[in-house]
Amino acid sequence: MTSVAFHPWARAESLGASMPEFASFQDEPPQMQSGAVGKTGFLRLGFEHRSGQTILANLQCRAPYMVQRALHCDEAMPSLASVFLITTTGCVLQGDRLALDITLGSRAQAHLTSQSATKIHAMEANYAAQSQTIALDDDAYLEFLPDPVIPHRHSRFLSDTQISIAPSATLLFSEIIQSGRKHYRPDECFGATVLSISTSAARPDGRSLFAEKLVIEPRRYEMRQTGVMNSFDVLANVILCTPADTAERIHERMQAEVNLAEGMAFGACRLPNDAGLIFKVLGRETAQVKAKVREFWGVVREEVIGAALPPLYLWR
Amino acid sequence: MTTGNDNFDAPRTAALLSRLLQFGDSMFPIGAFSFSLGLESAVQEGVVTDAATLRAFARSAVEQAARGDCIALITAHRVATAGDVDTLVRIDAQVYARKLSDEARSMSIRMGRKFTEMGVEVVGAPLLYTWRECIARSVTPGCYPIALAINFAVQDLSAYQAFVVHQYGVATTILSAALRLMKVSHIETQQILYELTGRTEEMYGIAATKRLSDMASFAPLTEILAAVHTRAHVRLFMN
Repeated sequence: MTSVAFHPWARAESLGASMPEFASFQDEPPQMQSGAVGKTGFLRLGFEHRSGQTILANLQCRAPYMVQRALHCDEAMPSLASVFLITTTGCVLQGDRLALDITLGSRAQAHLTSQSATKIHAMEANYAAQSQTIALDDDAYLEFLPDPVIPHRHSRFLSDTQISIAPSATLLFSEIIQSGRKHYRPDECFGATVLSISTSAARPDGRSLFAEKLVIEPRRYEMRQTGVMNSFDVLANVILCTPADTAERIHERMQAEVNLAEGMAFGACRLPNDAGLIFKVLGRETAQVKAKVREFWGVVREEVIGAALPPLYLWR
Repeated sequence: MTTGNDNFDAPRTAALLSRLLQFGDSMFPIGAFSFSLGLESAVQEGVVTDAATLRAFARSAVEQAARGDCIALITAHRVATAGDVDTLVRIDAQVYARKLSDEARSMSIRMGRKFTEMGVEVVGAPLLYTWRECIARSVTPGCYPIALAINFAVQDLSAYQAFVVHQYGVATTILSAALRLMKVSHIETQQILYELTGRTEEMYGIAATKRLSDMASFAPLTEILAAVHTRAHVRLFMN
């Protein structure tokens, strides 16, 4: 396995091998070996601004990841390239190693989303890992708003996102994490074994901006504990990297509130090193949380671009 | 650790114990009394209402500190013992980069700087002067866990003792704020403190085996409460 280091998913592999929360899950699945062909997907998307429009200039993919083409369907932002991330397997399984590389050249504008929720299946051996890198050049603008992650009972999932962002660029990156399929079986709610979600950002010259590592281990730490999840079931963790003056205007406009009666809590904090904002939402149901993330997205688009959001999809 | 009477250096042990008490005292003048670690918003928003929810809230805070700041504290203690200032600067930057709210950052920096300042004036070791200089020249932000680690390392107090002081500080900050913010008795807060300090050994085990990159957290509601606090009209505490 000498060439492993050159594979795009090598990073996901090495993170899983070194993080302590996955130390006891290094056994191999009885089915296909971890990281085998068919269990390693990667996707490279390179967006460029060319003659007034953003195009998908570079596209490399390997199953289960798939992308068809960039659409220019957003009426308020006709130059915006919209891309749907497709996974042909429809779920994440034990031993999966995924890598996603997104690059936006200077002034490129893109919107990335997934077709549906990412379901992480129950695991009895090993774990699933995904590594994401996002690089934004000067004045680039990216909305990366995938559908929620649904961890099934006994799932083990690692996600690591590394952001490189120019000071003038804007990145809106949302992760919505459900407690599980709580309407299917009560023990599916916070039934995952471990979810480890890391995000870190730096300037292109390497100056570190911020880092966050969320480790959810319901068996080790009580999820319903006061200050952790209380009675909430769904979390949205939204990162906005944008120039400080824009971030300040957005912060001014977003309220912060804890409403236990309605089962909703949200608020934005300023990230260190003038990186932007982090906006967190807690709710009992996914729809409430998605609506609040959409509200934040609307404010961001208005303040950064001066454009309105597209109307809601009928089926999303 | 000395257990028997053989080679027991009583005066030295007494001095170290006194210093541990002095620098770990909740009244040590580094301004801990002006923070509530999110409790003020938690009380205002009805998240903490009684002794039971206060106990759970304080327990969350102590656990979060063990999983995050304390990994840096223990690493920094080892590095400070070796006198490696460059690595201390790197650890400090990583702690700062993980403080994702204004109020969490300003608390860590205010207490860290004051603690360093007090260390220079009271203990006066060369590493403390160097660290103060690094902060003054904006080479490093000067977060609290690093300041505590350096101070204890130069006094020959162990990483374990620094950890105890850190966690005791987190618990007493919340509990003494609770006495001013909500209906709770001194007896109840002392019972909670006694219960929380009983878990110190277990939590040290969590923090001491981890690398700096393993610093983690998961307390979304506490983070939202920090966002609420910045916008509150009436504030008694700075976080």
